[in-house]
Amino acid sequence: MKKNIFAAIFASLLMISGAAQAAADASKAEAFVEKVTKEGIEDIINANVSQSVKDQRFEKLFNEALDLNFIGQFVLGRYWRTATKQQKIDFIKAYRELNIKTWSQRFDEFKGKKFIFKGTSPSNSANQVFVNSLVPMDQGEPAKVVWRVKQNGDKFKIVDIIIENVSLAITARNEYTAFIKSAPGGVDDLIKNLQNKTK
Amino acid sequence: MSTKNSIFAILALAIFFNVSCASRSADQTSPHEDTDRFETYNRAMFKFNYQVDRYVLKPIAKGYRAITTQYMRERVNNALANVKEPISAFNHILQGEMKLAGINLSRLAINTTLGLAGMYDVAGGWGLAKEKTSFDDTLAKWCIKDGPYIVLPFIGPATPRSTVGLVVDSVTNPVYLATLDAPAGTRDKIGYGYTAISVIALRESGLDLLDDLERNSVDFYTTMRSAFMQNRRNKGCINDDATAASYDFDFGYEEEEQIFDEMEAQ
Repeated sequence: MKKNIFAAIFASLLMISGAAQAAADASKAEAFVEKVTKEGIEDIINANVSQSVKDQRFEKLFNEALDLNFIGQFVLGRYWRTATKQQKIDFIKAYRELNIKTWSQRFDEFKGKKFIFKGTSPSNSANQVFVNSLVPMDQGEPAKVVWRVKQNGDKFKIVDIIIENVSLAITARNEYTAFIKSAPGGVDDLIKNLQNKTK
Repeated sequence: MSTKNSIFAILALAIFFNVSCASRSADQTSPHEDTDRFETYNRAMFKFNYQVDRYVLKPIAKGYRAITTQYMRERVNNALANVKEPISAFNHILQGEMKLAGINLSRLAINTTLGLAGMYDVAGGWGLAKEKTSFDDTLAKWCIKDGPYIVLPFIGPATPRSTVGLVVDSVTNPVYLATLDAPAGTRDKIGYGYTAISVIALRESGLDLLDDLERNSVDFYTTMRSAFMQNRRNKGCINDDATAASYDFDFGYEEEEQIFDEMEAQ
């Protein structure tokens, strides 16, 4: 009997330490997102520099803060597995360029706004955590923005942005897999379409 | 729409809705593997709505934006939101959220008077922040399932539950209730006028967002459906524990570092 209790305690300890290992460092993740948004607002949106400098800074911040390779894999869904190496490379490149373009435009709308951070929530995926934030709007209720952050050693990367429950990764995945399914040229057509949007 | 007709409409929808619920309850799909059982119909209706929007609604919304200032539009939006406070109060009561219902009614009283017919959000400035809810939220709280995605003519993205919500919200709208006993002509004028202003103001507020989404999308229909359905998740049902968020899908790695190393080397 005693042995059983010990076994149970031992097992639960193992589980706890296992869970702790798999969970991302929540407070560091939050600090990371806070730093990224602060840098974006102060050094890019509000900075008194030319648009081309702003674009360069944005691209750098974007590539440092987001793990587009990781997101791109998820977004292509089951087609990732069957894509050729060249298609994978071309897709990630086109996807990255489109995102940099769209987000630098969208980011401008955050002029004069700020993020209020509201702590973190755990994720079921290993080494990931959700950082919760609110953006007060000029009109109506504040927008709920959640950042999915992945930890790799002491490095953090954003892997999804969820605005009002709408995950950008899921939306893109639904959209791209639907497109590929009906496109005669499959993944190649998608890549071409994405490239055309950034021309 | 007479009261009798609207009750029939609600019943019909409720029946359709329960049937679709029953057949659905078994298949709980994961959040990112979305299903669209009426896709062929939905895409056709989406195309129709898109044309109506392109040639009628969007130009009107743009015209409205051109002849008004941001300040004026804010007054209109505030006034429209103020009219709907009783709908929120009613639904908060149904959800057992008495405190929030109280906030809705206080906001209505303060903003209708001091806020000049709701044009100014005086109550908001006093710390009584807007707490919007609808019959759809109430049904969600009561754990009624959403049902499949359907595109309604003119109205757009919907589900059976959201449709029932929309109908109940419109028959509990103070504008509708206040004009019930008015002569038919007057009632129609007020009803259509109110609806027209609401729709134009709503479309105007979505102009930039929808243009942005369309510009960056390779399949606008799927983008709209996906965003609409995701946005509707997390409307908590009282029986649910505080479980993981709907967007916490399994986000794993297929690990192909080699490719990425090569990409960075390029």
